[in-house]
Amino acid sequence: MIRLRALLTKELLDVARNRAVLLPVFIAALVFLALPLLVAVIIPSTSGNALGDDDELSRISLMLGDPPGLSTNGRVQLFIFQQFLIAFLLMPVTGAMALAAHAIIGEKQARTLEPLLATPLTTSELLTAKVLGALIPTLGISMTGLVLYGLMIAATAEPGVLAAMLSPRTLILVLVVGPMCALVSLQMAIVISSRVNDARTAQQFGVLIVIPVSVLVIGQVSGALWLSATALGFVGAGLFVVWVCLTFLSVAMFERESILTKWR
Amino acid sequence: MISARALTRRFGSRIAVDEVSFEVARGEILALLGPNGAGKTTTMRMLAGLIAPSSGSVTVDGVVLRRATGSALRGRIGFLTESPGLWDRLTVRENLHIYAGLYGLAQPRQAVDSAIESFGLAPYVSSRAAELSKGWRQKVALARTLLHSPAVLLLDEPTSGLDPEFTRSVRDMLDDRRQAGCAVLVSTHNLDEAERLADRVAVLHTRLLALDRPAALRQRLTTGRVIARIAGDAAAHLPTARRFDPAATVEGGLLILTLAGSDRDTPAFVRALVAAGADVLEVRPEIPALEDVYLHLMADQAQAVEEA
Repeated sequence: MIRLRALLTKELLDVARNRAVLLPVFIAALVFLALPLLVAVIIPSTSGNALGDDDELSRISLMLGDPPGLSTNGRVQLFIFQQFLIAFLLMPVTGAMALAAHAIIGEKQARTLEPLLATPLTTSELLTAKVLGALIPTLGISMTGLVLYGLMIAATAEPGVLAAMLSPRTLILVLVVGPMCALVSLQMAIVISSRVNDARTAQQFGVLIVIPVSVLVIGQVSGALWLSATALGFVGAGLFVVWVCLTFLSVAMFERESILTKWR
Repeated sequence: MISARALTRRFGSRIAVDEVSFEVARGEILALLGPNGAGKTTTMRMLAGLIAPSSGSVTVDGVVLRRATGSALRGRIGFLTESPGLWDRLTVRENLHIYAGLYGLAQPRQAVDSAIESFGLAPYVSSRAAELSKGWRQKVALARTLLHSPAVLLLDEPTSGLDPEFTRSVRDMLDDRRQAGCAVLVSTHNLDEAERLADRVAVLHTRLLALDRPAALRQRLTTGRVIARIAGDAAAHLPTARRFDPAATVEGGLLILTLAGSDRDTPAFVRALVAAGADVLEVRPEIPALEDVYLHLMADQAQAVEEA
C-alpha cells in the first residue's frame, strides 16, 4: 500500500506539473456544458420557438414519462439535459487517451521505467497506480463538470427540471456507470500502453476506446437508445466485470523483460 | 552475499550471457569489465531481478531470485541503471521521497534528509530534475539507489560522462559502502577506475574471460622483464646485465633484461650491479597495466571466435 501510494503521488504530481495534458478533458467539459445550454435554453429563447412547440421533441420526450409539475417545455428541457448527461461519460475516456496511453510507454521513453521496476513494486501495484493516477484527475474534472452542469440547469432551465433529473437513474449514471466507464477505458489504455512500443501507436489504439462509448452517446442523443435505471445498473455491473477481467489481463500481459529488452 | 551461478541469457538464437558464475562478498567491490555488447547490462539486469536468466540462477544471501522472491529481494538491492532515470518534472526531494515510499521505508523523510546531506544535494532539493546537470542527475540517482541502505549495490557505468571531481566523489562513496559491508558490483569501461576501486575484476565477453584481483590479472602477463635505472651511463653496466641475460639492452637510459625467476634473481642482479660500482636508483619488474591484460584477453577472445 505504501508503494502504491508513493507511485500514485508521483503520478498526481506529474499531472499537476503538466496541466496541458488535461486540456482535452477541460475542453470536453466545456463543450458538454455549453452544448445542452445552447440547445435547450439559448436557441429556443433567441429564436422565439419554444421547445414544447416542436411536436417531434414533445413526443420523444415522453420516453421519460410525464413528470408531474413540468410543462411540456420543461419536459423537453429535461429530456435534452438527461441525454447530454451521458456525454460526460466521454470525458474520462478523453482523459484515458491523454494520460493512460502514455502511462508505460512514457516511462520507458523517459528512461524512468528501469529504476522503477528495480524497486520492490509489484506489477499490480504499478498498473493500479497508473490507472488511479489517470482516473483521479479526469474523474475530478468530470465530477466538477457535473456539479457545474447541475448549477447551470438550476439557473437556466424551467423550475422543477433539476429536481426531476435527480432520479435513481441519474445517480446510477453519474456515480456508477460514469466511473466504471472511466475505469474500463483507463485499464484498456494501460493494457495498450504496456503492449505497444511507441506513444503514437498507443494513441491510435486509444481511439478505439472511444468508439463503444460514442455509440452509446449517439444512441442517447438521437433518442434511438433509452436505457432505464435498471438497464444502466446492468451496464455498470457489466463494466465492473470487464474492468476486473482487464485488470487481471493487464497484469498477466505486462512483460517486464520485453519492455526492458525489446523496446527502444 | 550475491552470487551468479552458470547464468545464461539468450535472446532468440543470440546468446548474450553464457554460463557466467561469480559471487560478490560483503565488503567487496567487483568490477565488471567488457566491451559494448559484452553482456554487462544483461548480467546486471538478471542480478537485479529485472529479467530472468534462460538458465542458471542468482542468489542473494542464499535466497534464489525468482518471481516469488523477486519483490522482497529487490528491496535488498540498489540498482543504478545506465541512465539516471529521474522524473524530470519532480524536484530532487520529490524524486527521492517517492523512491523512499517505493522501497517501503518506515521513516522516508529521515532517509531522504540523510541522503540529501550525504550527497551534498541541499542546494538542489527544490530544483526540478530536468534543471540539473548530468553530474548532479547522476548524484541524485546514486542517492536514490542508496536510500534504502541496500546490502547489495549494482552500478551500471556509475561514472560514465562525469568530470574528475564527480568521479572522485562517486569513488569515495563506493569506498564508504564497502566499509559499511555492502557487496558492490560495478560495471565500467574505465580500467583505471576498476584498478583503483575494485577488490576483484571480472572480464566479460558473453562468457567470463577472467576473474581475479587486479594485481593477479596483471601478473598473468608478467614476462620476467626487469628494468634497472642507474645513475650515469647505463650502457657501462651492460656487461654485468648480460651475465644474467645475454639479450639485455639499454633503452632510454634504462637497463632492460629478462630474468627467468625475477623474484629469485633480482637480488643477485642488484648485488652484482653494486659490486660493479653502479649507483642503483631503482630496479623493478615490468608489470603490465590492467589495460594490457584486458586488451590481451579481448584479443584472445577475438582469435578464439575467429578460429571457431
